[in-house]
Amino acid sequence: MKSIETEVLVVGGGATGVGVARDAALRGFDTVLVERKDLAEGTTGRYHGLLHSGGRYAVKDPQAARECAAENVVLRRIAADTIEDTGGLFVTTPWDDPEFGDRFVRGCAENGVPVEEIEVADALRREPALHPKLRRAFLVADASMDSWKLVWACARSAHRHGARILTYRAVTEVLRDGDAVAGVVVVDPRTGDELAVHARLTVNATGAWAGRLTVMAGCREVEVVPGKGIMIAMNHRIVNTVVNRCTMPSDGDILVPIRTVSVMGTTDSPVRDPDELEITQAEVDHMLEEGEKLVPGFRSYRALRVWAGARPLFGARPPGDGVTGPRAPGGDTRDITRAHALIDHAERDGVGGFVTITGGKATTFRLMAEETVDLACRKLDGAEAALRPCRTATELLPDAENGYYSVRSRLAAREENLLDDQLVCECELVTRGTLEAALERRPTANIDDVRRALRLGMGPCQGGFCTYRAAGILHCRQQLDQAAANAALLGFLQERWKGVAPILYGDQLRQARLDDWLYQGLLDVEHLPA
Amino acid sequence: MEDPIRASLDHCVKCTICETACPVAQVTPLFPGPKYEGPQAERFRQPGGSVDHSVDYCSGCGICSQVCPQGVKIAELNSRARAQLKAERGAPWRDRVLARPGVTGPMGAPVAPLANKVMASAPLRRLLERTAGIHRDAPVPPYARRSFQRWARGRRSDGAGGGRRVVYFHGCSTNWFEPGLGRMVVAVLERNGVEVALPSQGCCGLPLQSNGLFDPARRTLLRLAADLGAAGGQDAVVASSTSCGLMLKREGREILGIEDGGLRAMGERTFDICEYLLDLHDQGALDTGFRPLPMTVLYHAPCQQRGHLMGTPALDLLALIPELRVVESVGGCCGIAGTYGLKKEKYPIAMAVGEPLFEQVRQVGPDAVACDGETCRWQISAAAQRPSVHPVELLFRAYGLDG
Amino acid sequence: MRADGTPHEVVVVGAGVAGLVAALRLAKGGRRVRVLAKGVGATHLTGATVDVLGYSPERVGSPAAALPGFVAAHPDHPYARIGIGVVDEALSWLKGHLADPRYVGDTGRNFRLPTAVGVPKPSAVVPQTMAAGDVVDGKSFAIVGLPALKDFYADLVAGNLALAGDGIEARAVPVGLDLDGRVDVTPPAYARRFADPDFRAELAFSLRGRLGADEVVGVPAVLGLAGAEAVWEELEGRLERPVFEIPTLPPSVPGLRLFDALMGALRRAGGRVVMGAPVVGAEREGNLVRGLYTEAANGRRYYPASHVVLASGGWAAGGIEMDGSWAVRETVLDLPVCGVPAGARFLPGYLDHQPLAGAGVAVDRSLRPVDGEGDVVLANVRVAGATLAGAEPWKEKSGDGISVSTGYHAAVSILAEEG
Repeated sequence: MKSIETEVLVVGGGATGVGVARDAALRGFDTVLVERKDLAEGTTGRYHGLLHSGGRYAVKDPQAARECAAENVVLRRIAADTIEDTGGLFVTTPWDDPEFGDRFVRGCAENGVPVEEIEVADALRREPALHPKLRRAFLVADASMDSWKLVWACARSAHRHGARILTYRAVTEVLRDGDAVAGVVVVDPRTGDELAVHARLTVNATGAWAGRLTVMAGCREVEVVPGKGIMIAMNHRIVNTVVNRCTMPSDGDILVPIRTVSVMGTTDSPVRDPDELEITQAEVDHMLEEGEKLVPGFRSYRALRVWAGARPLFGARPPGDGVTGPRAPGGDTRDITRAHALIDHAERDGVGGFVTITGGKATTFRLMAEETVDLACRKLDGAEAALRPCRTATELLPDAENGYYSVRSRLAAREENLLDDQLVCECELVTRGTLEAALERRPTANIDDVRRALRLGMGPCQGGFCTYRAAGILHCRQQLDQAAANAALLGFLQERWKGVAPILYGDQLRQARLDDWLYQGLLDVEHLPA
Repeated sequence: MEDPIRASLDHCVKCTICETACPVAQVTPLFPGPKYEGPQAERFRQPGGSVDHSVDYCSGCGICSQVCPQGVKIAELNSRARAQLKAERGAPWRDRVLARPGVTGPMGAPVAPLANKVMASAPLRRLLERTAGIHRDAPVPPYARRSFQRWARGRRSDGAGGGRRVVYFHGCSTNWFEPGLGRMVVAVLERNGVEVALPSQGCCGLPLQSNGLFDPARRTLLRLAADLGAAGGQDAVVASSTSCGLMLKREGREILGIEDGGLRAMGERTFDICEYLLDLHDQGALDTGFRPLPMTVLYHAPCQQRGHLMGTPALDLLALIPELRVVESVGGCCGIAGTYGLKKEKYPIAMAVGEPLFEQVRQVGPDAVACDGETCRWQISAAAQRPSVHPVELLFRAYGLDG
Repeated sequence: MRADGTPHEVVVVGAGVAGLVAALRLAKGGRRVRVLAKGVGATHLTGATVDVLGYSPERVGSPAAALPGFVAAHPDHPYARIGIGVVDEALSWLKGHLADPRYVGDTGRNFRLPTAVGVPKPSAVVPQTMAAGDVVDGKSFAIVGLPALKDFYADLVAGNLALAGDGIEARAVPVGLDLDGRVDVTPPAYARRFADPDFRAELAFSLRGRLGADEVVGVPAVLGLAGAEAVWEELEGRLERPVFEIPTLPPSVPGLRLFDALMGALRRAGGRVVMGAPVVGAEREGNLVRGLYTEAANGRRYYPASHVVLASGGWAAGGIEMDGSWAVRETVLDLPVCGVPAGARFLPGYLDHQPLAGAGVAVDRSLRPVDGEGDVVLANVRVAGATLAGAEPWKEKSGDGISVSTGYHAAVSILAEEG
């Protein structure tokens, strides 16, 4: 078996993991990151993309609110091009208690969340699709953030500073050296190749999956509750501002304009296994109904896709547990603090060389990473040594110098190359040149990887036309054998179907039926050679 | 509520039917097609900041909306995007002039012979092309010596007590360039016992709209509606230009977004002249005493005639004239699209778009081309070198009114 | 509201294959016909082969042999309703009206024609330009890759075709052509280029000397719009071997040809088409429809009708709809829709038989719509095509077979009433 050595090994390629890898690399640590699938395939890639102003936590979770408000400012600086400065609204609908608005404003003021009450008429002029009988409206500094862009920017930055980022490497074994973790063994599920990674410190950044790795490491299980939330992407930007209901957090209380869609979120129910996220019809119906409260006629808009992510909810633990970060009473998963938790297993379980960072949310990933790498410094350099300074709050991520992202960007870019390049994914304006460049940077036989990188297949036709084109291009360029090409085609059709089947009605049902006529009726894909 | 035109983009299933039918996309890659410009690009648009300059190549023919099986308001989306673009970038003065026949008309008519000589002079047309961007070969019609309104002023209508009364919406083209057509329309209506009111009236605003100048277009259209309404109360309005008629019927609402009860009500009682006459026929009230017209005519339904979504009443009317042989056109667009094909940079596209139609005219060699749209008539005549008439003119002749 | 047309007019709703076949058959039978279409139908999206029955679920070699067993097992299927004999009659009639290209084949034996992913798909009646693609053991294929055509990948076709049977060989042959620097040429744009004799010569020339002795040549289906059969013959002559077209993703050039052929024939037979006007209402009297309303530019327009043929295209075209509260509706005449499952409408496997698939309007043997008890809802209405219940055409490969035969039968059933 091949083996490599490093100082800091990060397990988990979500925002937290790449954030840790970047921070560690910037501070001069030799760093390796392993991720069982593609970066941000887990929770980070499955939420609505909100860059929190902190308003959503202002009343319920002050610690989280403060952290979000501070990190909001930092991310706008270091990751500007992954962020669309949509601004945010908190609105009191006819179903909400207008007095909550006062608690909301107080909570914002107490926790450093900028807020301004505005006239309802102004809010409606800004967002005409909203309920005409809103009672109050507040402006906050919410924005939307492209999590794949963010995560890959961190990964590139880490790579530039010497880190090795290894995707499609699943941990099969945690290596022990006496009472310390010495690294892991990973396997590439595509090839079966194994690799041993020896590290002085292993950081468990697997988020909602954190418990598994701690058990594999021989520790008492860190009990992270996967809090399932479903999200529905609506076909176009019904609003251009993030819209929240001004009330205690509840299902379907937020609508986020992100890229070409608006995402309605979300629910919150504890599940056992973050890999088993079933979406029920009842949940979908409930969200659509709640959507009507924010946007009348919501059910007549086109719902593109529904998916689920698992929040890493880390609840109360007894003192002396080696846990840093706030504690919260148990109960409803919405009551569990969204603040993060950093666990030194040497203190908690007597196992050295191993820390777990869990909880938190995408908005505070950098802060989580900073605290984690501070701990790494203390453990690796010694508690008396000077702490290596963290630069991630000031050093710009690649492309951040371009400023905020605008939804018009792809259209503007396409206008410049109308005569020079073909469109592969027409809905999302992905050109052949862009696709081939992406394949050059990160060769893959999996169209879903391409989707995450380029948004291919994420538009109204949900892969109806581009699946065939992408399969044809991958087959050629990657020199895939026939079985792999067919698997790519069928795999992507299946992957797209998964998210579409639970919300098929209206226009999307028509689309799905047309796609059936094309792929089955015209191409006969179900009889592709095995 | 979200604007229903924008919301209609949700119905797009990317089937490509519109792109296949778009006459402009077929001849130039500078226009990426109606699906791209309409429902697809709309998802990337946001108030304040237009980036899609290629939408300027949309001719506004409206075929895309007609063929879309899902009800996407594609042409309307494109029109609005173009207006947004013009509003941000400013419209060239050429477009602002071409868009106002109601202004250039009164200027050109008094000096019609001189103006027509200028427009027929090759060197002066080359100069005009260089300075104003109007293509040297673009089919610009000659001004009439006496406008239709001059003829109509003070004229009492003779409806012969048929009990029907309409307001005639003649449009700028009839007024300044084809007053003869207007006289024929009046004569044919009066022949059928319809009293025709001829109020003073202005432009419908269509050239302003198609050039993306939405605010003046709205003002102009509402002024027209007021003028027509003042003359007729609740009487039907009859239009002899299928493009202008469509403005009043529908485009004022759907493209310009005017929400005016009076305008909507007027739209519902607006009829194209052929539509009106065929309705009379269905009620048994049309004089069918037509003389034979032993000739061959090629009928072309303009894109905006098809946009009325009423079929082709002209064909049914012409079928009533003995010995008249009517050949239907191959369809498609003649290319002129109002003022589009006059422009230097668009003229070659317009001519390429219309070529299949022109070729058919050359092959068939009819005695005349019949077409309900005036700019289409001028385009086809110039390109295929055959005379063109409004279908009403054939009825006029078959009634013997030209005797 | 204005009157339009005479009371003896048959109104056909929908301009897809089912609607145009019904309209043409009626017009040829001497009836006045008016087609009301809210847009162009699915002709432009399909391969324009008439697939009668491809899988039941095993591959069907001969629809004629398989249909009796199939309709016995699926008594609610449209074929069961109209009778198998009608299918042959309709196909025969259709072939008689298609000339450029001609259509060949019958229900006696399915062709197996390569799709754009190289799967041999069973089709009963196909354009002449595609017939040589029939996949049989021992055949060798050269699949031509045209530049700048993003909806056809010759390697993908050849790769899978090579795995299709004993002794079958297939390879991709890319060609270069002068496209005036264009990087994105759609199928119809290619088809227009094939009207140019120099372009055709260039293609033939670039293939000369690169083909194996026994190789049959497959090209994407772009060999011209009007005049396609002549282009195909010329190419076969130049290459001295069989050539066949392979349908691409939309826009489908063979579909455009079929649409033009049917529309042209309908117009010459005196039929009228109103394109772009959706039907928004109906006048009913007892169990009869007296006329339909469309939404024209100046409001509603009324078309009196002696009969109505509902060929509204089913789910894909919005002829049947499910709204955001999961309520199902037939959108033109509000006919009862059967087959909507009470429980899950869709299963998680993309290729599973989806429970909602067979939902549609149920009919009697004359294609009159019936309710849950089997009673006729509207006696002068006929339903044809994808709006019908009881079929899963994209899986069975029966789409155009159902459209053609039910469109034909709807017309014949109306003509029969006149006596």
